[in-house]
Amino acid sequence: MGHLPPVWTPEWLPWFQINLSTTLMTIVTSIIVLIIAIAATRSLTSGVPKGMQNFLEWVVDFVHGIIGSTMDLKKGAVFIHLGLTLILFIFIGNLLGLPMNFITIHEEPFTFLGQEIVTEQMIHESEVEHNGHQVVELAWWKSPTADASVTLAMSLTIVLLTHIFSVKYLGIKTYIKHYFEPSPLFFPLHLIEEFAKTLTLGFRLFGNIFAGEILIAVILLMGFAGIVPLMVWQGFSIFVGAIQAYVFTILSMVYISQKIQH
Amino acid sequence: MSIYLGSFIIQILAFGILYWLLKKYAFGPLLSVMQKRQESIENQIQTAEKNRVDAEQYLKEQKEAIQAARQEAQQIVENAKTSSKKEAEEIVRSARDEAERLKEQAVQQIKHETDQAIAKLREQVGSLSVILASKIIEKELDEKAQSQLIEDFMKEVGDRL
Repeated sequence: MGHLPPVWTPEWLPWFQINLSTTLMTIVTSIIVLIIAIAATRSLTSGVPKGMQNFLEWVVDFVHGIIGSTMDLKKGAVFIHLGLTLILFIFIGNLLGLPMNFITIHEEPFTFLGQEIVTEQMIHESEVEHNGHQVVELAWWKSPTADASVTLAMSLTIVLLTHIFSVKYLGIKTYIKHYFEPSPLFFPLHLIEEFAKTLTLGFRLFGNIFAGEILIAVILLMGFAGIVPLMVWQGFSIFVGAIQAYVFTILSMVYISQKIQH
Repeated sequence: MSIYLGSFIIQILAFGILYWLLKKYAFGPLLSVMQKRQESIENQIQTAEKNRVDAEQYLKEQKEAIQAARQEAQQIVENAKTSSKKEAEEIVRSARDEAERLKEQAVQQIKHETDQAIAKLREQVGSLSVILASKIIEKELDEKAQSQLIEDFMKEVGDRL
């Protein structure tokens, strides 16, 4: 415990804080998803599919099923790419944090791209000791989805997309009218609903995965006694990761279908 | 927990880029291939259905053709039977006619030959009587005896004929 996130803040843009580990993991996850997807679709055949193509077609069918269960498939066919990107990114992201961590130990201030990430003050305030020195430990490897910045970014994207699709499919008039149905009194409720949707969608995923990683860290404190619980919990975390990817995708589709139907 | 706006914005951008790349290079082609397969399977099912209908049609036609052929064969056998019967009757009748004719002819011939024989005999008798007469004359018979002799002779000849 006591690992800090490597936060990089550009001097000229103080609000643009970047959690380097999160962003690194976002990029790693995206690259892994891309490699899997592109490798699986290198030798496409419309005949009998083999190996990875088979697997990916199964994923496509699965997402098709998710969309089909929430809306009319004729309307929903265009959302298949969104659903596929969501489920693959979240599932792979959820799994990435499970097998390992990658920690750097800093006794001295550490600078990245001209910005101090570990400052004298941080080392001074740190409670972590290493070889008798006060040090700062930075955690670099984790699930990107174990960071609220990532999950909220995704949920906000989804909610914004639902509004865009709503205007596109129903027209601006119907879109606005929906806020006052079934009576104008419901307008505040609708506003709260949109807000709540964004928060719950993002925090559900974040909470599940973050809690899973915290528990792994706690189990690791147990030493050798923790090997069996660790295995059990990591197995369960794979299950949780899959479920959360599924839940996020199906809820996104439900929100979209709510917004594009009369 | 804190929200890092930089990471937040980078995440949105990264997700958008991932979406675009996946759509362009992975799932776009994959979906079009799946679409193609679906179409080809639909085609195959339709073709199979059409073939089945065709096959049924052919089967029906074949059955009809066999039925017709069987009827025709039956007809031919029937015709052959009647014509052979007719022919047999014809043969028998013509044989009978022929026999009748031959018999007639034979009778005719016999009659003719008999007549011829009678004529020949008459001739011979004539010449014989001349010879006899001359012989009798040679013996110089008396008139009475001679005429008696001729009369007896003629009687004899007449009786014999």
